[in-house]
Amino acid sequence: MRLQQKDLMMPNTPEALFSQAHTGANGNTPGRAVKLSIDGVSHAFDDNLVLDNVSLDIAPGEFVCVLGASGCGKSTLFNAVSGLLPITKGSIRLDGEDIVGKPGNVGYMLQKDLLLPWLTALDNIVLGASLTRGATQDDRLRATALATHYGLGAHLNNYPTTLSGGMRQRIALMRTITAGRDLMLLDEPFGALDSQTRLSMQQWLLQVWAETGRTIMFVTHDVDEAIFLADRIVVLLPRPGRIGRILNVDLKRPRDVSCMTSSTFISLKAEALDLLYR
Amino acid sequence: MSLIRSIFIHPVVKSMGSWSVAMLMLLGLWQAIVSVFHVPAFVIPSPVATISALFQNEVMIRGLLWQTFKETLAGYLVGAAVGVLLAVVMSQLPGLGRLLYPALVTSQAIPIVGIAAPLVIIFGFGMTPKLIIVAWIVFFPVVVNMMDGLAHIDRDQINLARLLGATRLRTFLYIRLPACLGPLFSGLKIGASYAVTGAVIGEWTASSKMGLGTYLLAANAQMNSVGVYGAMLLMTLIGIGSFAMLLLLEYIAMPWRHRATSPWRRAPHL
Ligand SMILES: Nc1ncnc2c1ncn2[C@@H]1O[C@H](COP(=O)(O)OP(=O)(O)OP(=O)(O)O)[C@@H](O)[C@H]1O
Ligand SMILES: [Mg+2]
Repeated sequence: MRLQQKDLMMPNTPEALFSQAHTGANGNTPGRAVKLSIDGVSHAFDDNLVLDNVSLDIAPGEFVCVLGASGCGKSTLFNAVSGLLPITKGSIRLDGEDIVGKPGNVGYMLQKDLLLPWLTALDNIVLGASLTRGATQDDRLRATALATHYGLGAHLNNYPTTLSGGMRQRIALMRTITAGRDLMLLDEPFGALDSQTRLSMQQWLLQVWAETGRTIMFVTHDVDEAIFLADRIVVLLPRPGRIGRILNVDLKRPRDVSCMTSSTFISLKAEALDLLYR
Repeated sequence: MSLIRSIFIHPVVKSMGSWSVAMLMLLGLWQAIVSVFHVPAFVIPSPVATISALFQNEVMIRGLLWQTFKETLAGYLVGAAVGVLLAVVMSQLPGLGRLLYPALVTSQAIPIVGIAAPLVIIFGFGMTPKLIIVAWIVFFPVVVNMMDGLAHIDRDQINLARLLGATRLRTFLYIRLPACLGPLFSGLKIGASYAVTGAVIGEWTASSKMGLGTYLLAANAQMNSVGVYGAMLLMTLIGIGSFAMLLLLEYIAMPWRHRATSPWRRAPHL
């Protein structure tokens, strides 16, 4: 599905540029499977227009990065998609169903990890089940297996305050994964980490994504991170937040550090930086 | 060896240690004042005289202590339960909360002695008015502190619950309640230190049975200063004992404050 959609997308053609700047048509070929459809979304806080006519379709299993300067409305867009924020205008559909103002349909890892200090790492991971129907022994077993598989097995009885920043992020991500939604929104999950931890977390996330087949939207203001992770990069421009361009990342997977010095990577980076700092 | 060491450096044991030292210092100060200024025994008896009189009076004092302790405990439990219940209801139904809040404040503005008299008229002498007086004093710090805790829960934690599709009851059990345990215990501790005072006032106005409070009045009338100070000492003991009990409960209820791992939640073995 990812490959197919990539083949069809020609983001740098005039048509694509044109279509992204307008409502409705958003550079997606009709008939292609769509997981999430964001259509003409605008939002204002009082009279401060933060999102202006944002439209975007995302395919099942796709990894889309949203790249933009601080304050350009990335978190606001995610809040809207998650259902936490009822938007002023536009529609958001998940598998064709309207999800505006209805939290609980998509997984969302907020900018803060929001681990509950009174629960152990494992109980934080299974929080989704605990809060809805009660976590069963089976939930706990499966979460333990998952966490062990991703290198967290030794710390499952720990309270979050005793864990490192990287571990906390991974627990928060596990909680989002375990909640079992097809679409996951990750808002700068690695923003607070040092660059080495960050790189290993990025590789870890790609592994999780490849193995679980989820659809991911990922906010970052780090250009390298966006290119390393994404199938497509949505560049948001500020005041008001709007889509500047959608970049296709044609780097083969699985990706490792070496791809960061490839010519494709460098030229994408130049293009993104040019958009951001023009 | 390391087990013994770990018991002695255990925070609860350590705080018990510092408490005992503080108590001994107070008793020492009391003894020093009496000895240095040659205070006559009928004005202030020495702690040694007071405590030895207590031990000679063992049976009666134990009966009195037990009576006052019962009143304090029963009233405290009722007051704490009412406080918690009110806080939960008032925070879940904000409209009702806004209506009730002024009433709660008013309840504490009435002097407690003023409440005692009508309670005796309504319920007669006995346990009920005493229990109500204690509960009346105790519930207020509990409800105020717990409501404060419930009002200041991190919005994002509640949003997280909504994102995970949580039910209201489970959001309360997993997020609101543990998040307000700190303030709740503050209220419970303040309540515990007021509770004995409530029981004594209750005995003064509504008692049919002899307790420490009634004994104190009787001893005072007979110029039995050893008895007065002995009763006071025992009341203090109830107050400190219940406070210490709550410190222990607080310690047990919030292991994440002082432990790296949970004492009872364990990940299953694969
Ligand atoms: N609840 C709110 N009320 C009013 N204004 C808001 C609110 N939330 C966000 N804003 C405004 O909307 C704009 C976009 O904020 P948003 O948090 O979406 O930015 P962001 O792109 O996520 O930034 P960052 O990279 O720093 O996280 C900002 O100007 C902010 O002040
Ligand atoms: Mg943000």
